[in-house]
Amino acid sequence: MSSETVKVGIISCSGEEIPGGSISRLATRRVLELLRPNNTVTICLPLFLAGNEAEQDFARTHPTITVDGCDKRCAKWGTEQYSGPVNAALVVEDVIGADRLSKCHRSARNMNADDEEAVRVLAERIAEEVDAILAMENGAAIENDSPKEGVCSCSSPIPASVLTIDGERVEIPGLMLIFEQCMKNGVPLSEKGSEELLRTVRVYHPIDREKEHAYRKALMNAYREYYRSHQFVPLSSVK
Amino acid sequence: MNDKTVLVIPCSGMGKVHGLIGREATYMAVEDLTSDRADTICLAMLVKGEPAAVTAVREHTCITLDGCPKECARKNVEMSGGEVAKAIRIVDAFRNHRGAQPGTATTLAEDGWVIAREIAENVEEEIHMIYKDKEDLQ
Repeated sequence: MSSETVKVGIISCSGEEIPGGSISRLATRRVLELLRPNNTVTICLPLFLAGNEAEQDFARTHPTITVDGCDKRCAKWGTEQYSGPVNAALVVEDVIGADRLSKCHRSARNMNADDEEAVRVLAERIAEEVDAILAMENGAAIENDSPKEGVCSCSSPIPASVLTIDGERVEIPGLMLIFEQCMKNGVPLSEKGSEELLRTVRVYHPIDREKEHAYRKALMNAYREYYRSHQFVPLSSVK
Repeated sequence: MNDKTVLVIPCSGMGKVHGLIGREATYMAVEDLTSDRADTICLAMLVKGEPAAVTAVREHTCITLDGCPKECARKNVEMSGGEVAKAIRIVDAFRNHRGAQPGTATTLAEDGWVIAREIAENVEEEIHMIYKDKEDLQ
């Protein structure tokens, strides 16, 4: 199997009843979108029961990591029962610790810096497992979008941008990808838009409450620049 | 599982914004609008066949919220022997929001929250109807 074809499957339990399910879901999304976008895929866990044979073959056709929100390990059990053995099985509490998990929330409406930190820690652990699997799969190389632009704490390059916020240089992984998505979703260059930018960046990057205003301003300035360079419309006409 | 009458169960689909809208609509419904009458349960536990989850869906009226036509939430509840009083498809809610920019599978934009709120209110209505029917029977 060549490095181009190796895709690690990540299956999150996404348990709705508990904060651990929300953290497992968001951390998985973070790996898929930002940390290892070229080497990972996912499938909805409930699809194993409701889906067809091709969907149930998922773990037989991909090396697979399960991410469970509690020690019932439903993702691991469901995947192995209906699809095939998994290569790694993570449980949120084991990775981030019971204390940190106890401060997390299940709805995005209530999430704060504690949730963001939990997502970050878990996502980096998942990325480590992805790398270990890829290394075993014929020494497959990790594909990265931009290996020169920043290094995350698990020592794997991901695209990052540097903003000056309150006089400090702050590195934000994946900012250009976030801007790209925001632009696609029509996030406007306005106060309302700055709220959405802040909310989106916060999913991937911890932001202290007292620094929200400074972040909002710096993010909107950077987004405005990005917008200007990616759309051929006079800036004055953009509301 | 407590004795609340209705279980609201979203698919939480991983790949599209619809899964996240269903998930957040569920939280709005069971935490804000009908906290004394409804609760949610992990769909993954049904996939696993966890006895507590299977018993819960068999003993409670269920409302399912599905993000895609595969209707994993509805099918998994029914396969577990549960009764689905109302199967809501998130995509149907978009009919009144043509051109909406709801966000992504990771984070909802403002339009996404508006749609989630509407679905939650729809769920709330269904729950009130379920309660009314039960009261009428008594």
